[in-house]
Amino acid sequence: MASIATPVRAVSTIGDAAQRTSTRMWPLYAVLCSSTCIVVGLLWDISWHETVGRDTFWTLPHLLEQFGAVLAGVSCGWLVLQTTFRGTAESRAESVRFWGFLGPLGAWVTIWGTFVMITSAPFDNWWHNAYGLDVQIVSPPHMVLALGMVAIQIGALLFALGGQNRATDAHEMRRLGWAYTAAAGVLITMIATLISEYASRANEMHSALFYQVAGGALTLFVVAVSRAGRLRFSATGAAAVYMGIMLLMMWTLQLFPAVPKLAPIYREITHMVPPSFPLLLVFPALAVDLLVRWNAGRHDWLMSVALGVAFVLVLVACQWYFADFLLSPGARNYVFAGDQWAYMVRPGPFQHRFWNLARDATGHPSFPLFLRGLGIAVMIGAASARVGLWVGNGMSRVMR
Amino acid sequence: MKGGLRALGIAAVVLVCSAHIGSPDSWYEGSAGPYHVVVNVQMPSVIPGIATIYTRVVGDTVHQVTSMINVYDASAGTPPPDVGAPVPGAPGQYQTRLWIMAPGSNSVTVRVRGARGEGSVIVPVTAVANSRLPMQKPLGILLAVLGLFLFVGIVSIAGAAVREGVLPPGAAPDGRRVWRARATMLASLVFFTLVVGGGKIWWDGVDRDFRTSLYRPFAIALSEENEGGPPRIRLRIVDSAWTMRHDSAWLGRAHIAAWSPLITDHGRMMHLFLVKMPGMAAFAHVHPATKDTVDFMATLPPLPAGHYRVFGDIVHESGFAKTLVGGIDLPAITTRAAAQDSDDASFAGPAADASSMSARLDDGSTMTWQRDATPIVAAMPASLHFVIRDAQGAPATLEPYLGMAAHAVVMRDDGTVFIHLHPSGTASLGAQQAFAFRQRGDTNAVSIGKSVAREDSAMARMPAASIPGDVSFPYAFPRAGNYRVWVQVKRGGAVRTAAFDAVVQPMAASAR
Repeated sequence: MASIATPVRAVSTIGDAAQRTSTRMWPLYAVLCSSTCIVVGLLWDISWHETVGRDTFWTLPHLLEQFGAVLAGVSCGWLVLQTTFRGTAESRAESVRFWGFLGPLGAWVTIWGTFVMITSAPFDNWWHNAYGLDVQIVSPPHMVLALGMVAIQIGALLFALGGQNRATDAHEMRRLGWAYTAAAGVLITMIATLISEYASRANEMHSALFYQVAGGALTLFVVAVSRAGRLRFSATGAAAVYMGIMLLMMWTLQLFPAVPKLAPIYREITHMVPPSFPLLLVFPALAVDLLVRWNAGRHDWLMSVALGVAFVLVLVACQWYFADFLLSPGARNYVFAGDQWAYMVRPGPFQHRFWNLARDATGHPSFPLFLRGLGIAVMIGAASARVGLWVGNGMSRVMR
Repeated sequence: MKGGLRALGIAAVVLVCSAHIGSPDSWYEGSAGPYHVVVNVQMPSVIPGIATIYTRVVGDTVHQVTSMINVYDASAGTPPPDVGAPVPGAPGQYQTRLWIMAPGSNSVTVRVRGARGEGSVIVPVTAVANSRLPMQKPLGILLAVLGLFLFVGIVSIAGAAVREGVLPPGAAPDGRRVWRARATMLASLVFFTLVVGGGKIWWDGVDRDFRTSLYRPFAIALSEENEGGPPRIRLRIVDSAWTMRHDSAWLGRAHIAAWSPLITDHGRMMHLFLVKMPGMAAFAHVHPATKDTVDFMATLPPLPAGHYRVFGDIVHESGFAKTLVGGIDLPAITTRAAAQDSDDASFAGPAADASSMSARLDDGSTMTWQRDATPIVAAMPASLHFVIRDAQGAPATLEPYLGMAAHAVVMRDDGTVFIHLHPSGTASLGAQQAFAFRQRGDTNAVSIGKSVAREDSAMARMPAASIPGDVSFPYAFPRAGNYRVWVQVKRGGAVRTAAFDAVVQPMAASAR
């Protein structure tokens, strides 16, 4: 259970490795590109809603997301048709069969994700007409859309995984390992964005709920990425990719002039509202990588407890004091983008306070109650890590 | 009438508000500075939602028409106004689509620029969620088919992943792996069934919460009282959202936002309408008095016995106008009490003859609905134009009735549509005045109710103006069906009422 699958030598039908790799790289790059477009489009779209407000099917962020979905679906659809009807023996051998068609596992998951995104469009449109425009991220049609997006990102991950797990050449393994790390980083960015209503603002970082949500959602993916990665620090690399995307979006978006186009407007906004400063995820990810490498042969159940404890506690150690800084005047600048709020948020002292603090019966903040909540976060993190190890073990066996 | 409004000093910002039964759109006809405009705000059925604003400039060619929306008290900023697009085939008409984000009382500002300069009008609108759009059958079938396809697809992918996804290239799955794949498909079938079931529970919860939060007027209790005096009708607002309005702690616990106080509308705190059902054969418009804005009492005018549908129009200081709805059985009331409010009136009898569309009023004058044979179509502007002539057939003059040239009440025969109209549109004068005081930006804004009442008193003391007996009401019937329209004017110091029937045809799919 705990062992990492060793690279399996391809069967005799496989010819020159370099030739085979070159024929497989374009769909991987296409899906990686579409996966990145989708998450960048999503972050841009959130910023658009916080800045401009007025929404149509044809806004630039939506077009970028749609381009990502179309690119993913078309490239994988073409790959499947090519493999099924005109595929080489090698490409057919590296495929799985699905309803009579042949294609890599990643292609099938990507195509499925594209159809989910397409399905979400009329559902979301009806939802807006039936219940009003939902401005929150977590709503049923948005979760259907997110499922499609995540599926495309998992498809990209599986594409890279299949290549990485088949690779025997060190250079090829490194290249595919980096592709896998990049795909994992995009996926983690997506997950972090989905939980951002509960686990992104500095105001939430002294609340146990922040660590429970982050521990539950992120530990799984960080651990799975670490377990299945062939690079030494896959999870750390993926976390760095996440932080890089978020920082680039944060630093880029706020350069563009924009004003709200919907009333009521409660603040003067002149440029795009950027996302919050990213979580310092490289540190808990590094702890996970180190534990996974060090404990590679240990029992996964014990391992998951250690991973859950390490992830949550390192996250607390990093975010607790960093949150103090992010709420301070020192963070209210271009680099840290502190104190940036959507146009519809009424100004108030809540901006510079911590939210959802554990309080005792007298209403005062209670550190023991916070520790109790943190204990729950650790347990959630351990459970998430256990699932992550299980998923990571499965991922490390993917060959097609 | 417009002259009267100018005398009251509120013509600078002419305003319209509506919150009626089954007829959510707002209409305004009147001036926007030097221009005569007709504004129709078609409200969304959910908030946030998109309102469509049609502005028709009558008799002028203008350079530009813009519109914008803000919350009622203008406490927030607004984006630059949207420039209206000319409506093809309708010269002088402009269309704008604007998002209404905040529920409650909002304002639409329409600005006109042309050769005669610039003019504007503020149209108060009440933004509430009043219905849940059903899912159309074709869309439901499409989503069901796609959902089934995706469900079967993901289960099959899970099976394929275990069957072949982990095998070295070219290797064929053995029997054990095939069975593991089948077990995985079964497990994923269960898992995704639970996911779909969880999603359904979530959706149902959202739907339940939404339906619970749909706009409903305050709950009321109606009773008839006749102890020691003329028969009276008592309307009591029993809704805890109103009766507990001064208890902020209770409101906080119940997650209810505090309502602003009631203000007078045409000098009255409530306009109460009674319609005999079924058949709509009798009608009354009375004005209950109140000491606490919870308990309202009005002397009943002469009415035949029967069951009555009751509608009570009230206006909040925010400009939010609402219609309270109830029903009551009444005995026959044969005499008019001496204590009756002089502006109270009732009417019993058939509607005007369908061929002549002319009704004889009780002072011998006649009221005629000036319309041709063109059918009235739902959601299309209806020509509600009435001409009053005296007993000799000469054009009649009218006296102001509650500050207006005329009042009209439109009701569908099943009671699902009810609206109180004025020649300026679906206006509540109280909302108009409240918005006008806010626009002045002076300290009156903190005591709007008192300011409105002062203005109402000043209006009542004004000498009666003579108004031409030619009135029209901008309106579009919202749905097909059989309607009755009661038109009330004041002549000879008394309110005169006439009734007209209207058969409204459904709108052709391509008509709009």
